[in-house]
Amino acid sequence: MPRHKGRGISTIEYPTGMNQNGDPSQAWIKLKPDGRVDVFAGTVDIGQGSKTVHTQIVADAIGVPYEWVTMDNSNTDSSPVCTGSFASRGTFIGGNAVRFAAERVRERILDIAAKELEASADDLEIEDGTVSVSGAPDRNISVSDVAAAATWGHGELITGTGAALKPYAPVDPETGAVEIEPHCAISYASCIADVEVDDETGEVTVLRLIQAYDVGRAINPTLVEGQIEGGAMMGLGLGLLENSYPYYPETDHRGSEFGTYLAPGMEELPEIESLILENPAVDGPFGAKAIGEMANNAQPGALANAVFDAIGVWVTELPITPERVLRALERKNDGKHEPRHEGKKVIFDEEISIGTIGANGGAVALDVP
Amino acid sequence: MKLTVNGRAHDLASDPLRPLLHVLRDELDVTGPKAGCQQGSCGTCTILVDGEARRSCLTPLALVDGAEVTTIEGLGDATRLNALQAAFHQYYGAQCGFCTSGMIVAAHALLERNPAPTRHDIQTALAGHICRCTGYVKILDAIEAVARGETFTETNGDRQPGVEESVAKTGVSG
Repeated sequence: MPRHKGRGISTIEYPTGMNQNGDPSQAWIKLKPDGRVDVFAGTVDIGQGSKTVHTQIVADAIGVPYEWVTMDNSNTDSSPVCTGSFASRGTFIGGNAVRFAAERVRERILDIAAKELEASADDLEIEDGTVSVSGAPDRNISVSDVAAAATWGHGELITGTGAALKPYAPVDPETGAVEIEPHCAISYASCIADVEVDDETGEVTVLRLIQAYDVGRAINPTLVEGQIEGGAMMGLGLGLLENSYPYYPETDHRGSEFGTYLAPGMEELPEIESLILENPAVDGPFGAKAIGEMANNAQPGALANAVFDAIGVWVTELPITPERVLRALERKNDGKHEPRHEGKKVIFDEEISIGTIGANGGAVALDVP
Repeated sequence: MKLTVNGRAHDLASDPLRPLLHVLRDELDVTGPKAGCQQGSCGTCTILVDGEARRSCLTPLALVDGAEVTTIEGLGDATRLNALQAAFHQYYGAQCGFCTSGMIVAAHALLERNPAPTRHDIQTALAGHICRCTGYVKILDAIEAVARGETFTETNGDRQPGVEESVAKTGVSG
């Protein structure tokens, strides 16, 4: 039987908005005379959907329909500072910046509405574009009319600014200690990989990836799913195919063009199942944490474990190419079942690792058919 | 050389060996086909030549003399999306969007010759199209939706589908 099936599991944690340099995101919002909302923020949407997510955050934080909000992140002259879309910070730090600005706008709307309704601002609520007195919904005014009153009656501009910054966390060079935590929140994820390994060719085929991500709060679950699915294929590529320096630390024979860098295509797509867990972060926007960079971290470990489960050898270098699988099998058949450590600091002890995995008799709280 | 691009006739005096991709992008300002790897490996420059999907980066201009060329722009625009464009929009089939025009043009060619493809048929037909954002799942979902005849009333590119649904799912209320 040349083909063997195996299953592997890995679990990761990932910092949200990690910061060692001080990286702010800022936003400012103005209300137009008709109550429509203009948001100026510098966070770049590179396809992950931050523009949509930030629009949802602003709409919900003010209390107006999504369609009323225009997100302008196209001009870095008119937008305040955002250090960028990286470090899994877009939803958390960029999202907090627009949320704080939206909360200021909401307060200003309530101030003007309180005058119009002759009520205390503390007794007012905003929902779906209408300000009303708590407990007396008949006493209400639309946000559009509040904005018009501010513009034409009170001579005021309703505006708000917000800034989010995770302060620099200096590391004590002696002890490695930090006085403040260097990240905003921790996201968690697990991946289960089902593979089939051909012990004659060394080829690993991924049959199924099941992935669970704790993202705090999924502000847009479809976009989160898109991140998980995209990350799954990147992780599959990192685990099995992608290699910039095949003989690292030697740099010879590195790929010099697109066609020599193997990225997974549609035919490599396994069955993918995505589970979103919501374990809210206290200070994230609506409890959100991050999904960004972590989405392709869990798969390579799960794939290595699945290969071990299938054919009983550890491949301890990525990507798990057919050559590495065959060499590992060869060492096993020679009675030298030891992972290779050359050129790298790899802390690996099979007894300890297996012992750790096998704690509680190997029982895990997962029921995957 | 004469060629028709998205219904418009052109008479070109360009280098006959110039890749059609550069003629389209630099001379005719048709920028839907993307210049990705420019060696036939990524699929982003895919166009239709007399209805057949071709890599415009590997197609010398001389080869399409007298031909009818269709790019993503010829299938539909932001005010009038064709079914595949609407489906990609509805199913979140695009993230950064760089592969999208090639994906849609190739999917269009597939559906023209096989109106009822299986998921596997689509994976085989689009195997040479690299997407690094989506993990392909939602792209396949979108093409399958068109293949099974799903219709899309949304033709306005400004709408963000799924937002109401996601608000309902998460309980983040407006």
